[in-house]
Amino acid sequence: MTAEPPRLRNLSPVLLRQRLANASVELDYGAAVVRVGSDLAGFVADLQRVYGAFSLADATFADFHTQVRRGSGVRAYLRPQSRFLIDGIQPFDPFPREQALAHFEWGVNWCFAQRFNQHVLLHAGALALADQGVIMAAPPGSGKSTLTAAMMLRGFRLLSDEFGVLCPRSGQLWPMLKPLALKNRSIDVIRDYADDLILGPVYKGTRKGDVAHLAPGDASVDARRLPARPQLVIFPSFREGAALRARRLPAADAFAHLAFNSFNYELLGATSFNAVADVSESCPAFALEYSRLDEAVDAVRTLLADATAARTGA
Amino acid sequence: MSDQRPNAGPSALLQLLTDPGRAGELTLADWDTLIRLARRARLLGVLAHRIQSRPGHLPAIPDCVRGHLDSATIYSAHRVHLLRMELAALARVLPTEVRVAVLKGGAYVIQDLETARGRLPNDVDLLVSRDDLRRSETALLAAGWEAEAVDDYADRYYREWSHEIPPMRFPGHPMEVDLHHTISPVTGRLKPDRALLFGDLQAVAGQRFLVLHPLDQILHAVIHLFQDSELVDNLRDLVDIDSLLRSYLQSADDWLALTRRAGRHGVERPLWYALHYCRKWLATPVPDGLPLRPPPIAMVWLMDWLYPCCTLPRLADRPPPVARRIAVHLGLARYQWLRMPPGMLLRHLGHKSVQALRWRPAAQHRAE
Repeated sequence: MTAEPPRLRNLSPVLLRQRLANASVELDYGAAVVRVGSDLAGFVADLQRVYGAFSLADATFADFHTQVRRGSGVRAYLRPQSRFLIDGIQPFDPFPREQALAHFEWGVNWCFAQRFNQHVLLHAGALALADQGVIMAAPPGSGKSTLTAAMMLRGFRLLSDEFGVLCPRSGQLWPMLKPLALKNRSIDVIRDYADDLILGPVYKGTRKGDVAHLAPGDASVDARRLPARPQLVIFPSFREGAALRARRLPAADAFAHLAFNSFNYELLGATSFNAVADVSESCPAFALEYSRLDEAVDAVRTLLADATAARTGA
Repeated sequence: MSDQRPNAGPSALLQLLTDPGRAGELTLADWDTLIRLARRARLLGVLAHRIQSRPGHLPAIPDCVRGHLDSATIYSAHRVHLLRMELAALARVLPTEVRVAVLKGGAYVIQDLETARGRLPNDVDLLVSRDDLRRSETALLAAGWEAEAVDDYADRYYREWSHEIPPMRFPGHPMEVDLHHTISPVTGRLKPDRALLFGDLQAVAGQRFLVLHPLDQILHAVIHLFQDSELVDNLRDLVDIDSLLRSYLQSADDWLALTRRAGRHGVERPLWYALHYCRKWLATPVPDGLPLRPPPIAMVWLMDWLYPCCTLPRLADRPPPVARRIAVHLGLARYQWLRMPPGMLLRHLGHKSVQALRWRPAAQHRAE
């Protein structure tokens, strides 16, 4: 029997800082393991907060080897920056130093979108109850992340906020469990939605506006290695004052939305066509208009139960 | 975490490329380094293809590693698809009476050679005779391809001293087109026999484009690597040469024909180096006693130090060792020296140094 590795929130900041200085912290997102090193004190503190539920595992293999480093030379003092590196190479411009965590999150998304073409990467959130999965697909600004966050806070397990990782071999959704990036107004909405949530600092004025990260809960983190079977596709849209309305979408519409919003649909050719066609055929899809989060969460819960029952009954 | 573990350095990568059946014996810690080294060398797709071609070993490879191998072959297949689409688009607009050959990666693809499997084609390289150059360029420009914006000096450099014109691209197309009129820089010391080169162009069944004679395909890859490159980070070019040698040369006579052809093109020295490193690193079955005169022994010593330092991939996690930095500079100096006569080189470097003093945007790092 080996002891469970400690969660990041229970580590002494000094130890965590040491491990990051030696680039020996591995974050297990489920679909991928990311090794990270850093010499930025502020980054360490923010990381410990939003990755608090993650454990400090010793992985011998990492999918991505990343660093978050301070700028070099005079610049490091005049306008402090954070640089994101993968395998020692800096693929894009530095961020202001205070936004190091947002920069890291963005960088890991980039690595993943570039180099993880063994899976179909839907531009969609994914959640599950046990192993019954829901795909949350919608364009930015439609309230997808807000509803995803609310669902996690009401007992769904979060698989991913940004990537619906669809394995073409098994047809299952893999967790790519990262802190959930809330933007602008939804930061306050979610802050008021539950008591026991952990939000990272609000980064003002990033290229996507204000951003804050919601820490995934322990239950989601502990199940990060369990894939889920897609059962339901939801296209949420938030509209002020709207009454809850779920409208069934034809499979062809769901297919088009999912395929053309994927990160690598073209790249996988026939493989992604088949994988997305399977999902669109087997999962009912609904456009869900909502204004009250609780109502929407309950509606998704009911739709998921119906979809699962229909599937197992058939 | 060290590159020095026996199963995880550049030599392990070479061994695995040569003997992919060993893939099942590696540990996760070995893969942690090897996948990155292979990606760095732009060889992950080739390695993945070779491993996947021996499915018996796959169950012994951990899932997370197989994911990266799958991703690499899928990405390579996508690049090959883009290349075929670009060739199809080019075929529609190039004047039918002009004989156009596809070089390098494109040629391996349209001939469906083993060499193309898992490879990542960068751009499309076409060859036309000097007489057809203007006509071909005009046809592409008229059809919407646009030349990369270069200053007057660079334009003149390309047109007078190089073997290609400035790269062109159709807006929105991912692949660039390089139009060549010969296979080595016109100012370089080596002057391949153009009559022989163009006289022996080969048709490919069902294709609008021609390819070089098989032996010229090998020699072109050799010239490209040892004559027209800075030797830095181009292990994949040596892997191409190894694969072409294995595909095209079956008998002792074939090897003799290759050396004779190298003699007619005046490229025996680069061929000697290519065979030397192919045999040493990739276990290419090069027969003994080929009639190729070796370079002076001191040159071989120098290259045996310089070439591995420059060419073998290394992880950029730490700054490069001093030896590598010196070697990279020497590789660059060698490249310039081979490319143009001393007077012209002085003039070119003079121009470049003046230019370097002016402001220019920082170079973008390429991560992929």
